Amino acid sequence: MDLDHKGLNGQIINDQIMNKNITDRFQWKDRLLGLILPVALLFAWQGLVNLKLYSDLILVPPLKVVGTLVYLAGTGELTTHILISLQRVLTGFLIGASSGFLLGLLMGLSATINRSLGPFIKALKQVPEFAWMPMIILVFGMDELAKDVFIAIGAFYPMVFNTYQGVSGVPHKYQELARVFDFKNIRFLQKVVLPSALPSILTGLRLSIGLSWMFVVGAELFGTESGIGYMMYSGREMFQIDVVIAGLVVIGAIGFIMNALLKVVENRVLVWNVSVEGGQG
Amino acid sequence: MFQSRGGKDKSMNISNQIKGWFASLTIPFVLLVLWQVIVSLGYVPAIILPSPEKVFSTFMTNITQNDLLRHVAASLERVILGFIIGALGGFSLGLLMGLSRTAEKIFGPTFHVIRQVPVIGWIPLIVMMFQIAEIPQIIVISLAAFFPMTLNTLAGVRNVRKEYLELAAVNGFKGLKLIRRVIVPAALPSIVTGTTLSLGMSWAVMMAAEFFIDTSYGIGTRIQAGRSSFNMALVLVGIFTVGLIGYGLTITIEALGRAVNNGRDVHKEI
Amino acid sequence: MSKLKGVIEIRNLSKSFVVDNDPLQILKNINVTFSSGEFVSIIGSSGCGKTTLLRIMLGLESDYEGEALLDGEPIVGPGLNRGIVFQDHRLLPWLTVTENIAFGLDKLDRKEKKHVVSEHIKLVGLNGFEHAYPSQLSGGMAQRVAIARALANRPEILLLDEPLGALDALTRIHMQKELERIWQLEKITMIMVTHDVDEAIYLSDKVVIMSSRPGVINKIIDIPFSRPRDRASSEFIHIKAQILKEFHLGTEYPFAYAI
Repeated sequence: MDLDHKGLNGQIINDQIMNKNITDRFQWKDRLLGLILPVALLFAWQGLVNLKLYSDLILVPPLKVVGTLVYLAGTGELTTHILISLQRVLTGFLIGASSGFLLGLLMGLSATINRSLGPFIKALKQVPEFAWMPMIILVFGMDELAKDVFIAIGAFYPMVFNTYQGVSGVPHKYQELARVFDFKNIRFLQKVVLPSALPSILTGLRLSIGLSWMFVVGAELFGTESGIGYMMYSGREMFQIDVVIAGLVVIGAIGFIMNALLKVVENRVLVWNVSVEGGQG
Repeated sequence: MFQSRGGKDKSMNISNQIKGWFASLTIPFVLLVLWQVIVSLGYVPAIILPSPEKVFSTFMTNITQNDLLRHVAASLERVILGFIIGALGGFSLGLLMGLSRTAEKIFGPTFHVIRQVPVIGWIPLIVMMFQIAEIPQIIVISLAAFFPMTLNTLAGVRNVRKEYLELAAVNGFKGLKLIRRVIVPAALPSIVTGTTLSLGMSWAVMMAAEFFIDTSYGIGTRIQAGRSSFNMALVLVGIFTVGLIGYGLTITIEALGRAVNNGRDVHKEI
Repeated sequence: MSKLKGVIEIRNLSKSFVVDNDPLQILKNINVTFSSGEFVSIIGSSGCGKTTLLRIMLGLESDYEGEALLDGEPIVGPGLNRGIVFQDHRLLPWLTVTENIAFGLDKLDRKEKKHVVSEHIKLVGLNGFEHAYPSQLSGGMAQRVAIARALANRPEILLLDEPLGALDALTRIHMQKELERIWQLEKITMIMVTHDVDEAIYLSDKVVIMSSRPGVINKIIDIPFSRPRDRASSEFIHIKAQILKEFHLGTEYPFAYAI
């Protein structure tokens, strides 16, 4: 009887593979549909330019943006800005996410810590991250440390809340299982709590890095001499709208790549989790 | 047996709640004392850390003399207007993509690429294109509200259980009736989540917008004024005010969500 | 006291929960002995406390009156000398079949661990599925893994809490044969809680019948006939009628399958 189940199971797996083939076969059609909108928008853009309703200062032709991108990439200016921004993101993210993880873990493990820290952190969360910026600048000046702290604040919240949720939400049945197998302290943490909380922690990580990327752009708009946000800021000051749009394209592309990379990691790490789904940004 | 167990939990909850209140007040209290001690010791210059009384008196004079409430009102108006525009747009697009696979194939890819652009990044472009201060503010805020609303409406509509759709089909529900009576109610928990996230994002981005786009009124503008005049007390008053309003918005939207979800088990539905 | 391992003695055991300040008696004056190497089923309708009794033997429930002894010693908390198979297989979804079976084997070195795991994979007949995740297994297969995990620690006693309750009827009959085979190979005490009268008669040396409010033992019936047992034999049907009578379900419906 159980052999039937094995057969059934094999079949399920086969069906999945077949479905994948089917979707592969039809994907080019879907891709084509997906291209309609961007192409239409580009044509509309170019059309508006040709109508000369607006000044060239405000409405530059799409090709000029491409030209600017190529030019900025050619001079190496773009790469420098990108690298500086990425470095800032990484520093701020590491500080914010690791402290968020640690606090979330402690709050999830100890009801007392959660009772005393939880409401305080939730209250702090009510203050939009940007509101801290002027204070940070007054305290640290306009240098790198100010940006790191600001980005860290942004990275902190999703990590602390998602880690807490994952750790405190370990199903009771697994806790009971750990008791039966006599797992305590570190082993319990390592073998039951952390794996069980992993999907939630990874969601926190992805949200956290997304927000860090947003806040680095914000921090750089705030006055600095380098970074992709600065490039856009100075483009605005000098009324080079092509530079501003080029900057938008670049930050969008980098955001997209970071998100995609993290999804790949997530799918790899969570092969066991059939309900893995794209989180919501 | 279940009911009586519920009763037991309830009475435990109340004592836990009281304990919780005390516990949650410990840290703010300790920080306040620490703040006062540090100020009294004079280790940190008053420009960086004004005394608690100074902050409180600044708060009072700002309310009585400097139109703090008018600044708050200006910010709130922007947020609410931008939020309504963005959330309605997001709801419509999410519903459309959720109902029609073709629509999703057309709009989806562009939407998912554009949503990767950090909302703040749009500010310079929008400011250049729409010169009048109030319009770029509202556009940026509505963009912030738009993306989470679209995503969550889409997810909600997509995850409506097949059983409900079959039931609706058996009963001859079609078109608008199907959407109004089955799809939207079934997707409601997810839509409520989207609304909460949208409002949160609007509020957060409003701060940034007020920093980068010049306006005469707004709580962000007030905080900026504090920074440029090196008035840390004013900055702290601003932060405190923003936090208070954020809290108000959060509990309002949470209460709304509870009312709408009407006691159904959200987790089971998802 | 006997030198045999895997003997559980329950003496004058009573347990009540406090609900709304009123004590609600779950178990009342339970007296029963499970001998070494015996297969015993505990049956009864919902709420008769049979699962609570099993959890007391497992060590997950304390705070009761009377005694629960394992090999003459009071039971204090869970221990690796008692294995458990829950109704929900309770496999950890992030571990493969192999890793789930090795879950409680931390004390062994790598080589021993590998040996014990492969031995138990063979025992429950899951060769070829070593690296599958629980989400890829059928209900019957997942329950086999749960049995292997419980046995891997070489417990003196295997406790089974409605282990086949979530399976479909045909898989269930097949798994009953498998359980019998495993029990005969392992030669340890097995105590199973079930709703299913046929299952209890098919597998057990002894059936403990409980009734509810408060949970008491109504009767303990020995089932002496040889294995493998034939569900259609007259002795099987006779004993089934006798058990059903205990539940006031009379002999009019001898084919009632389960309670």
